[in-house]
Amino acid sequence: MSSTAAAGTIDHHHDSTTVTGIPNKKLLMWAFLASDCMFFGCLISTHLIYRLHPPPGTPNARDVFSIELTSFSTFILLMSSLMMALAVNSIQKGNLKSLRWSLLTTIFFGCIFLGCQVYEFRNFVYEKHLTITNSILGTTFFTLTGTHGLHVLIGVIWLTGMLIYSFTGRLTEKDAIDVESMGLYWHFVDIVWIVIFTAVYLLEYI
Amino acid sequence: MSAPATTTHASGHELEQSKFWIFVQIAMLLAVITGLELVTVYLPFMKWILISALVILSTVKFMFVIFYFMHLRWDKAFCTILFFIGLVLAGGTMWALLKLFGVADSKPLSMAEPAAVVRLAA
Repeated sequence: MSSTAAAGTIDHHHDSTTVTGIPNKKLLMWAFLASDCMFFGCLISTHLIYRLHPPPGTPNARDVFSIELTSFSTFILLMSSLMMALAVNSIQKGNLKSLRWSLLTTIFFGCIFLGCQVYEFRNFVYEKHLTITNSILGTTFFTLTGTHGLHVLIGVIWLTGMLIYSFTGRLTEKDAIDVESMGLYWHFVDIVWIVIFTAVYLLEYI
Repeated sequence: MSAPATTTHASGHELEQSKFWIFVQIAMLLAVITGLELVTVYLPFMKWILISALVILSTVKFMFVIFYFMHLRWDKAFCTILFFIGLVLAGGTMWALLKLFGVADSKPLSMAEPAAVVRLAA
């Protein structure tokens, strides 16, 4: 946990009780995120490689994708990141009421994003006849965006758990590191989407 | 002793207050950059210019999120180093894979030149 730097204030960025000066939970999360970078890097590379040499009969991604829906999803995820940052800011100030509202809004935005993804997948499968097995585009696209969607779902569940926990009265300013670690995970999901939005969607329109 | 503690508390409180507005401004900036990215793909420029512009814009968004929303700007440098180790490894792997599979010899046989297919079959 973070150490008390001075009377009435907690230094949330440094921890004098650890060798690194960084709270252990935060260090663990950064190490995990660094490894997850490599995981998503491989998935994105696979998609790009197969887009580089599309086998004959591969559907035109431009005819399949809906840039309007994806842009909306991107905007929603960016706004959820803002609300998550505000949630961390709130718990660091010990403002539980503000934390709850920020978490609730983040969950709401996360659910909208997931709803958009479910709608997109359904549209691709039933309207555009693009499935995970009938083309390389479908295989790499659904694997990549599906894995990202799974990360968002895990984030939403984690956020909901934290929101419920905040009502037990056991979540205080001293536990800000728990909310911050969760925030790191949520922002990571956002930065992965920033890359996917450009590499998978926008590049098809050039 | 109480004076420095009060000063620390006040400056800490000011930092937290200013962070709120920093986060709001950055979110607005990120939304604007996303809009710019959308406009970029429809511009009648050469492909490499558009791709470079998209890469730069998404890198700017990426950096704003990690340094401000993820607090790397205020955290110890070790967090930045740790994350960038993963990022560099991921980026290097992506670059290597794209280079390896980008060459003509990596094309699927159905797309390769007929002469090359015959040579391989022989």
